[in-house]
Amino acid sequence: MSASTTSVRGTVSRGSAGTTFRPGSKRQHEVTRLLPGPMLAIILTVLSAIVLIPVAYIFLASVNSDIGVANGEFWPSTFSLENYTKIWSSVGLAKGLANSVLVAGATAVVSAAMSVSIAYVLVRYQFRGRLSILRSLLALQSVPGTLMVLPVFVLFSSAASYLGVQVIGTQWGLFITYLTFAMPFSTWVMVTYLRGLPRELEEAARIDGASNLGVLVRIILPLSWPGIVVSGIFAFLLGWNDVLFASVMTRPDSQTAAVALQIFGASQEGGAIPLYGQMMAASLVCAAPVVILYLIFQRYLVGGLTAGGVK
Amino acid sequence: MSTDSFRELKAATGPAAEGQLARSSTAGQAPDADATPSAGTGTTQPGSRPAGRGKKPVRRKGLSERNRPLWMLIPGGLLMFVIIVIPLFLGIYMSALNLDQYTLRKWVSAPFIGVDNFVEALTDSPLLHSVWLSVSYSLIAMVVTLPLGIAAAVATQNAFKGRALIRSIFLIPYVLPSFVVATVWRTMFQPDGVVDSALGTFGMDGGLWLNGPQTYWTLILVQIWASWPFIYLLALSGLQSVDHEVHEASALDGALWWNKLRYVIFPYLKGPLALAFLIGMLHHINNFTLPFVLFGVPAPADVEVLPILTYVTSFQSFRFGLSAAMAFVSLVLIAIPLFIYLRAVKLDDAETPGGKK
Repeated sequence: MSASTTSVRGTVSRGSAGTTFRPGSKRQHEVTRLLPGPMLAIILTVLSAIVLIPVAYIFLASVNSDIGVANGEFWPSTFSLENYTKIWSSVGLAKGLANSVLVAGATAVVSAAMSVSIAYVLVRYQFRGRLSILRSLLALQSVPGTLMVLPVFVLFSSAASYLGVQVIGTQWGLFITYLTFAMPFSTWVMVTYLRGLPRELEEAARIDGASNLGVLVRIILPLSWPGIVVSGIFAFLLGWNDVLFASVMTRPDSQTAAVALQIFGASQEGGAIPLYGQMMAASLVCAAPVVILYLIFQRYLVGGLTAGGVK
Repeated sequence: MSTDSFRELKAATGPAAEGQLARSSTAGQAPDADATPSAGTGTTQPGSRPAGRGKKPVRRKGLSERNRPLWMLIPGGLLMFVIIVIPLFLGIYMSALNLDQYTLRKWVSAPFIGVDNFVEALTDSPLLHSVWLSVSYSLIAMVVTLPLGIAAAVATQNAFKGRALIRSIFLIPYVLPSFVVATVWRTMFQPDGVVDSALGTFGMDGGLWLNGPQTYWTLILVQIWASWPFIYLLALSGLQSVDHEVHEASALDGALWWNKLRYVIFPYLKGPLALAFLIGMLHHINNFTLPFVLFGVPAPADVEVLPILTYVTSFQSFRFGLSAAMAFVSLVLIAIPLFIYLRAVKLDDAETPGGKK
């Protein structure tokens, strides 16, 4: 394949001596172009509008009054930033955010550490059951949470009644659950990443007498940090975005931001209008950490998404 | 994801591998690259990267069968066993029990009623209606997101000023947490909310979005808004696999843009989009957060999709056994696309572990 492509490339550049096919040149642009200009403009404008109008609305509604939002104003009649100060005291959003950061952060760190060691063994060693493990890693990603929530709940409450370990209502319960459900995908991301690493460095380290653990810590970890960051971020997102387990297994003092946000819709002010303005402000605050993580690691994350093919 | 760091790695390992080759050729070996692996038989010889990768079973076996750190699998494996596998079987067992809020505490001694829960779920519950809702809503959302995602990918494939910004904008719905997306749309769809007033300026009456039969379309609409960037991402990865020669060939043939897309480019997208279709269907059918936050529980009957029905049966009606039976039925439903997906995905690049793409 590579031989034939190079020969084709050779003949093309020789045949068209004078007109350059250099990547990035104007000529090049004409060749790879997929859509006529006006069509391109229409698609980009329409899709950007579809995305940006609701996003702009979150900003605008968050500085609007509750009545303004309830009356369907897109452009606020009164601007005020006080929603952003009120959200911290009206429902337990601050506590919820702190719990979310704690639980999702711990999930990210532990899941990344565990998935890199599992992926290392799966990629570099041959043993019976290896393919079954790889296959079940993919299958477990698709096990619906609603199927698991009741048995996990029962399991945890049994742990309380038979072992005397109180798990439900604590951050530990959420942490263990999120960690487990994050592992299959995080490990799969690491497997696809480690496959791209050449073995020569590891083999050289082995010649120098490094142990398995030594190879993992000294060679694999420094080389694969982009993959580790991606798999950690996906674990973080799983914990941050979860509503199902958080709504079943938390108490008011251990609830996450996702649960706290729902309370704004239920709490009503004076004239029975929900706290819309605060709800939109809180939505932005809840989305902020995720968006910031995404902006920082955008390049790696997009690759990870398509590699694993799962959110 | 890995291209840049991988390039650095290549740069770092390249000279070492060459040095290895040079040394073996000075040791009296033929400088033919194919001869190096057989020379390394028995001893673990590093390097020799350019030579036939994956054709060195003796050396590979020697390295990978000695002292395998399989213990590293234990912590994660144990965790997944306790929190996923045991509850999975526990759920199946519970589906044969008469469990309610009184018997749940001592579920071990709850009355065993065999397949009664399944009979009730299939004959005397909204389960089949929910299955129909889940499947049809997932399919409709999928069918609409496919052209959106493809159009977006085709439009952002060629470089233009501001493309990076556009690409970031397109991913916003995907990046926002589901619960935030649902909260925002719920606010926008309130009676007399911003959607209704926008429709009002065009003289249209939106009707009720969060109650009644129209909720089904509300759910589809929001699902489409939230999930088309996923199709976009996979379509984009498909477009990037199109060789430059293909563009040149179709340019030489003078293909019109539509013909070029239809007959030259789209065939490249079949694989990634088939994958996107399967995974997207799995996501939609499993999606709990979106309908839960959009409509609350108990949800209107027209959006009582499988995850919502299972949740409500457990945590609102406290029919835990029945709910477990329903969950089992949804697992069977999920198994169909999942099975196709697992058959289609290549687990390994080569028969030996660690083979490179």
